Amino acid sequence: MQRLVAIAALILLTTSGAALAQEQSTPNKQSAPKANQPAQSDAGSPGPKKPTWDTFHGQLNAQKYSPLKQITADNVGQLKKVWEYHTGDVSDGSGKRPATVWSATPIFANDTLYIGTPFYRIIALNPATGEKKWSFDTHAKLEALTQPALKSRGVAYWQADEPKPDKACQKIVYIGTMDAKLYAVDADTGKQCSNFADDGVLNVDQWNTINNKWPLSLLQPPTVVGDHLIFGWAGKDWVYEQAPPGTLFSVNARTGKREWTFHALSPEMQKKSGTANVWTAISADPELGLVYVPVSSPSPNYWGGNRKKDVPLGTSTTALDVDTGEVVWSRQWVHHDVWDYDINAAPTLMDITVDGEQIPALIQSTKMGFLFVVNRKTGEDVWPIEERPVPQGDGSVKGDKLSPTQPFPTKPKPLLDQSEKPNIWKLADAVSGGQCSRLWDKLEYRGMYTPPTTKGEGAMAFPDSAGGVQWGGVAFNPATQTAYVNTSRLVQYIKLYKREAYDKADSGSGNESGFSPQKGSPYGMRLKVARNWLGMPCWEPPYGELVALDMHTGDVKWRRPVGASQQYGFFMPESWGSPTIGGPATTAGGVVFIGASMDSKVRAYSAKTGKELWSDQTEAPVVANPTVYKYKGREYVAFVSGGNTILKDQVGDQVVVYALPK
Amino acid sequence: MSRSRPSLVGAIVLFASAVIGVVIALYGYLAPLTGITGSLGALLVVVTSALLALMAIVLASLRGRITRSIWRVLILFALAGTCFAALLLHEWWLCAAMGAGLIGLILDLAAPGDRGAIYS
Repeated sequence: MQRLVAIAALILLTTSGAALAQEQSTPNKQSAPKANQPAQSDAGSPGPKKPTWDTFHGQLNAQKYSPLKQITADNVGQLKKVWEYHTGDVSDGSGKRPATVWSATPIFANDTLYIGTPFYRIIALNPATGEKKWSFDTHAKLEALTQPALKSRGVAYWQADEPKPDKACQKIVYIGTMDAKLYAVDADTGKQCSNFADDGVLNVDQWNTINNKWPLSLLQPPTVVGDHLIFGWAGKDWVYEQAPPGTLFSVNARTGKREWTFHALSPEMQKKSGTANVWTAISADPELGLVYVPVSSPSPNYWGGNRKKDVPLGTSTTALDVDTGEVVWSRQWVHHDVWDYDINAAPTLMDITVDGEQIPALIQSTKMGFLFVVNRKTGEDVWPIEERPVPQGDGSVKGDKLSPTQPFPTKPKPLLDQSEKPNIWKLADAVSGGQCSRLWDKLEYRGMYTPPTTKGEGAMAFPDSAGGVQWGGVAFNPATQTAYVNTSRLVQYIKLYKREAYDKADSGSGNESGFSPQKGSPYGMRLKVARNWLGMPCWEPPYGELVALDMHTGDVKWRRPVGASQQYGFFMPESWGSPTIGGPATTAGGVVFIGASMDSKVRAYSAKTGKELWSDQTEAPVVANPTVYKYKGREYVAFVSGGNTILKDQVGDQVVVYALPK
Repeated sequence: MSRSRPSLVGAIVLFASAVIGVVIALYGYLAPLTGITGSLGALLVVVTSALLALMAIVLASLRGRITRSIWRVLILFALAGTCFAALLLHEWWLCAAMGAGLIGLILDLAAPGDRGAIYS
């Protein structure tokens, strides 16, 4: 019977269809560390020593770690929903309004839970009851100006060192909009802060002066480091060769006055190319005075003939001086990126002991399923990162110059096995009358970094731009020196079309998949998920896993399928796992919390063994990291259940909070 | 001669099970946070459960051994398919209702009159 269930489940299974893409290259261009930097921080972590969850990734070090111990591996099974709140800011895209994508981690600060919605509103909630304190509406255009959906990753929080009780805007909540406005609102009252920029609103698009083809969408909340608000922007992928060039801004948290601007592209490349922007979260080490910036790939995403010269900061982790924005060091993880392998998550900062030596490190997760671990003061390898030869083009794509080598980490091992073409799922093949086999025969794959081609059905992208690790990043328990990361195992394929052939072939695009023109370049492109006509994935499960890593050794402690795939309501066996968007949080209580899966459930796993300990059903896939906080002596775990149409065609507006029974 | 009592009981049990199935499936489709709210799969089992209720009514009125046998086979497929879909939807009670429906079908099959001419 179980076999029968599995077979039918397969027939019904479809997986996420798409490339998670965003805006967007060569070897390790590091500059020397600053001579006057302070000594490294204490063991365990740079950042707060008390329970803190006041940024997108919990803490500035992006550890998503809480030292709280009220909820433990022994009692987490008793967790109950204590309240839920529906924002009303949701759209399934069926009307005139685009669908919503809600990846906002709730912020706990000022004894309040602050939520940013995809309608660009801020809602302040009582953390114990969910009762609304106030809300603020930006009245932003609810149009898909850059992204295909209305997206928000929430809000940021700042407060003065010594807030004056009778003075407004000593504590501020910030939210950005798709039309490039940054709003500053008093954290106690929800009133706009008149001293910030133009009566509480900063129009960031005023700095959008090169290749201005779209507004600089502020979907990711700023990172607050001292009195600096540091933020990048999101735009459109795959559409243009020349696009707005990647910039990162630092503005004063009180006034909105610009302090510095970081350019990921050289002045020459800014005109020829674009993007290499920073659309995701940023981590920071205030003690070192550094911010760690995940930089995406330059445009266009799948052809690089316009950028044959080095673009050293593209697809990199770059450390900047927080006061000046100057590059302190940078490591490029993909040279001459023609796969849209944006660095998509804030690196997690951690102090680890390797071979008896304490190292101030960071770990950078990637779409490729590679985890790069380097010294965060210098950018030097912790475990060797090797430059290895990679496949070169088949000659069908003209005018480009590929990198002969790419960086490969030796430890931790890649989360996915990219050395060989993934095995065909035999049942999917049989059910479709050999459709998968025929597709595999027409797909070029010579291992990781097989370049795009115009031949056959194109080049297999494994992992693809939606695979590997997404913006949830890596959680880290400094006490046990264990890292936790969820990964997706998806197969897509990329085909380039010469301009004339593209114009004939273009049948439109879906949700970040399908055809896209790369206007200005000689090639349009098509990206598809490797599925049969029934929607079944052509490759073998598992489709997503949760992995625990011993950061003393870089070895895997345990790994297991995470969540369950679901299509048309039908749940697939949990042994297959689910593609994941969103990420984990971990606690000193020995628990890893995560949503992220297609089945819209939130789960708790044993941090020690990976055993599933608890789960609950939510409204839509939880595509943000959870928030763990303590209020009036009680520990809570909060999830935002908003969905992402890339993962599954299901949206929600639910904030749901759990605690142990009193 | 009127229909044998056991056969009618079987049809009634099948009908009741199917109606319960409709209720369970509708709850899964309409209620929030069931995991299948508004899903195509939940709608499918609403429809198949309702079809089963109709099939039970038809079964109670069908004449002719061959016709009834064919109809029972169709009901069996509907029961099995709905139960299987329910398993994939994690609707355990719906599958149990289909199990009860199977009992109804067996009762109908075991009705004494069914071995020969049921109707006259």
